[in-house]
Formats: sequence, structure tokens, C-alpha cells
Amino acid sequence: MSEYIVKENALVDFFKSLASGRRLLTPQGLGDKCKLEETPPDKVNLDFSNTHMSPKSLLFPQTEALMAFHNDASKPQAFVYQSLGDKGEPLAVFGIRPCDAKGLSIANKVFQNDRFTDNYWKGKIDQAVLVGLACDNPSPQCFCAAMGGSPFGEAGLDVLAFRQGKDLGLKPLTPKGEELVKASGAQTANLADAIKGLEAEAVKSQGVPPDYKGIDNADLMALFNDPHWLATAENCLNCGVCTFFCPTCHCFDIQDETSEKGGVRMRNWDTCMSWLFTVHGTGHNPRPSKTERVRQRFMHKLKYIPLKQDGVRGCTGCGRCVAMCPVNIDIRSVALKMTQTAASQA
Amino acid sequence: MNNPYLPYPVRIAEIRVETEDKNLRTFKFEFLNPEDEEKFAYLPGQFAELSVPGQGEIPIGIASSPSEKGFVLFTVNRVGQVSSYMHNMKAGDVMGIRGPLGHPYPLDKLKGRNIVIIAGGFAVTTLRSTITYLLQPKVRPDFGKITFIYGARSPGLLLYKDEWMAWEKRDDIDVFVTIDREVPNWGYKVGFVPAVTKEVCPPPENTSALICGPPVMIKFTQPVLEEAGYQHENIIMSLENRMKCGLGICGRCNVGPEYVCKDGPVFTLAQLNRLPKEY
Repeated sequence: MSEYIVKENALVDFFKSLASGRRLLTPQGLGDKCKLEETPPDKVNLDFSNTHMSPKSLLFPQTEALMAFHNDASKPQAFVYQSLGDKGEPLAVFGIRPCDAKGLSIANKVFQNDRFTDNYWKGKIDQAVLVGLACDNPSPQCFCAAMGGSPFGEAGLDVLAFRQGKDLGLKPLTPKGEELVKASGAQTANLADAIKGLEAEAVKSQGVPPDYKGIDNADLMALFNDPHWLATAENCLNCGVCTFFCPTCHCFDIQDETSEKGGVRMRNWDTCMSWLFTVHGTGHNPRPSKTERVRQRFMHKLKYIPLKQDGVRGCTGCGRCVAMCPVNIDIRSVALKMTQTAASQA
Repeated sequence: MNNPYLPYPVRIAEIRVETEDKNLRTFKFEFLNPEDEEKFAYLPGQFAELSVPGQGEIPIGIASSPSEKGFVLFTVNRVGQVSSYMHNMKAGDVMGIRGPLGHPYPLDKLKGRNIVIIAGGFAVTTLRSTITYLLQPKVRPDFGKITFIYGARSPGLLLYKDEWMAWEKRDDIDVFVTIDREVPNWGYKVGFVPAVTKEVCPPPENTSALICGPPVMIKFTQPVLEEAGYQHENIIMSLENRMKCGLGICGRCNVGPEYVCKDGPVFTLAQLNRLPKEY
């Protein structure tokens, strides 16, 4: 696939084409008001840092009704749950940052795993076309390169867009993306070298990335049993804000809500920081204190997910958890401690 | 699209009180749609989410054997919201089951071997499934000697009494049932499961052990098997953790990188030695 270019004066037409037959969502608003919203094609904004929340709620809403039943025994199917459908709709999402798209690609391998496919997730992702916008000027809170990503990363995207002066460069990455770009009337252009140059520039702005490779090669139990977890978890309030904002955190709870006429089975975002998350019916809890729960979160991101997903880390370096944590726990410091554990074991 | 969250509707055909404290009941379910029974094709050791509309779901091991057609059995301990509600349901009520979930005991890999099955308390459920499966006339010749060791605190807390008494009369399975303390007119063994295991467990050559029971039983039975010479690869256990989806997605039942629901619940001791003890 070659690259394409959309000239500045053709941008509105390009976004019109994206919006044709689909809802077009783009980042709107400033600072912590910045979120993905339905956007008229002439109101797309290319000057934003990133959305306050990760885009995971597009495919995995914070609360979602899965199925419902009625309790009227005089009618058929009483007390039998019926699916409420996956509620997917044709979407074009423009302006997802590469870290967040990578987050969706990691969650995608969980929701569509080696044994089961979550139809509610699949129904949405199959109808969405994701156009990322590369970060030519990464925010100071970002560290995607340290986590194995790039401000021009391609994972999880159908098209990578990037600013080429006042024009917009496009690199289709999937057949779905190629189709979208061709239909938009964008002109082909050879921009491979331009991308390389812009990417190198953007990576440089993040400084020399720390090397966490030691974690990948370290023994799982050595990392797990290291005494640093007690100190690492000491300040944690178990508030769960890290899991709320994380683009790869995908845990959920399932709860039944009832009314006089029947009920609905809901799923809601959940958090491994909660005591209730793992407690058994007997009262036994495999992760009884915050130390085990904090260890679980970082081991999951930095060791368990890489073991299951060909070395890809479960942290994409978006920086949200670092920015939001009320007690300044920083996943980079934790990764460094884990790297030191690994080195002392080697 | 197939929806792995949607339970198959079932009718409670029969409820049997299993223990004298009435905390354990066995539910016999029949599928409302006969074609669902074929979709629910399972093997011993797998589990399902029992789904009560408006109450929630609980992950429970399947107690029936795939050789038993027309129904599925689950023995449920009264513990929390869903299980307590189920204990107040009646025959004829409609609810749901979702599965089968998890991996079965690796019986296909154990062909030609002796099997010792060690159960404590109500964890015997999936092992009842296993024994019923193994004792089928067509299946039994594929395996060597079968030994069943089963313990509970008192006679009234032993499940499936009619069945283990019938197994005891057969000559193709050795059955050792034990209670913690002597009671009048008890004709079987007395003592904890580890002690009985030490006494009767077959030599480790060409033998695999399936163990399911409370943590304290497993803790003291494991050294007995090790002392007898069992390799950790040949000690097979089934784990439990809190679950919601049963599909390896909702994130709470993991033991290190493995999800008990999707990658387990059956693990060998050799596998568990390399994983955190978060269960």
C-alpha cells in the first residue's frame, strides 16, 4: 500500500467522505474536556494533545445492558434472558492517538481470545474504522517509546494520518483503511521517507527511553516475590483511577438489575484495586491487601500481558495513570524497580 | 453472532437435598430447547455458570457425566446471593446455564494409566462426573486400575451415597470412603484423607492422581503423594476463584498470566509450582 495526501483545501471534503454513511467522531474540546464527539466535517480540529479519557468506551461502554428477561408467566419465554444485541453502528473515528489505538489492539486480543469471542465488542469494532493521528509533538506526560510504541505507531489502526505541513498525510494499514482512503479521493504520494523523518523527530522529543527489557527475560516468580511491592504499594489508596483511565484495562463486573416486570443483566467497568474484585463466597480473598492488588496491576501490565501477547506490554505509555494518580505512583518507577529485580536475579 | 454470555434456558427437573445440614442440594436441569443439549457438549472437569434471572450467576462444576443423557447435574452449596436463592427454588422453575467452560481433566492423555481420584467434602462433584464417565463399559478398558478416596467430616456430609455404595460393590474400582471421627455403625474408614491416602494409594508407576478438595486437604495430601513418589506432572488439580464472565475477559480469576476460567480450572502441580498462589 502506498501513502496518500489530502491538501489543506480538500480537508473538509475528506472528512465529509469519512462521515458518509457513518458517524464521524473526532476529539473536541480542550484539556480535560477533550473527548471524542460526533463532529460536522468542517469542524474537525487537528490541534489537540489527546482525549482526557481513553477511547475504550467506544467499544466497551462503562455500563452496558447485555440481555433482558420478563417475568410474566402467561407469556412465552418467561424468565429466559434474550440478548439486547451488540448495538454496533458504522463509525469513523478520526484522531485516535497511536498509544490509544495500541491499547485497543491489546484489549482486542482479550475480547477476541483463543477460545471465546465477545460479541458485544466484536459487533462494535467490526463496524468502526479507526484513523489515528500521529503525534508530531508528543505531550510531556507521554512515554510511548519507553513501552515499545511510537508516536507514529500503527497497531490497532486502519489508517495512520499525520500532518505534512498544512496538509494531511495518510498511510492505510488495513484493507478497510485502504478502501476508506481510496473512496475519499485522496491522492497517492510517496511519503515513506517523510514519515521516517517525522517519527524520528517525535521520538527524539521523548528523550532516551529507559530500557525495561530485563522484565521480559526475568523469571515471573522472582518479579512476583520481590519485597519492593510492599513499599511500592504503600501510598496507594486503591482508588482505581489508574484502571478507569487506562486504555488497556478491560476488567468488568456483571450485575442483574430487576424491576417489577423482569430484569436486565448489565456489565460495568470494574477495577482490580477493589477488595470485592476477587473475594470468594467463603470470605477467602486471594488478593487480600492493597500490596497484592497493586502488584497484580503492574505484573499484569508488564509481565502477564507480554507473556500472552508475544512480548507486547500492557502499558502503552499514554501517561494518564501517572497524571491522574492522587499519590503520584508512576508506572515508570515501578518498571524500573522490576528491572532492578530482574538484574539482581540474573 | 454466537453470544457466549447468553445462558441456555433450563427447567429444574428435580432438587435433591444431599447432606444432613441441608446446605448442599443437587439440581437436575433439563434444557427447554432440546438442541441446546447438543451445544452444551462437555467433558468431566468442566464447569458452567448457573444463571438465575434477576439474581446473577455462579460458576459451578458439572457433576453429571456426558454419558448421562437428557439432563445435567450440579451440586450447589448455599453460600451467597445466587446459591441461597437457588436453594429456595422449586422443581419446574426456569433458569439458565451457560457453558461448558474451562478445560476438562486430561482423560484422553491418561489412557492406559492407573488413576487415583482423591476428593474431600463437596469438591467431589466433578470427580463424580469423572468416575461415572470412566466406568462406562466402552471407556473402562482404556484405563488401568482406578482408586477412589473420598472423605468428609461425618457420614451425613458425604454426597452421592447411593452411587459410591454401588461403586464399592464393583470389582473394577477400589473405593475408600472415610470420615474424620468414629461414629456408631460406620462400616468404612475413619481418619483424614491424607492418612487414608498414605495407607491405600497405589504405587506411582504409570499412575496419575486427580485431587479436588478444600485447601487444607490438598496441603496435607500433596506431601503424601510426593513421598509415595508421584511426579508433579502426574498430580492434577482443579482450582477455584471468583469469576464473572468465565471467558477469560473480565479479569478477576487470574493466577499469574493464566485465567482459571479459560486456561484452567484444571492444572498439574508442575504448572502451579511456576505460578503465584493467588487462589
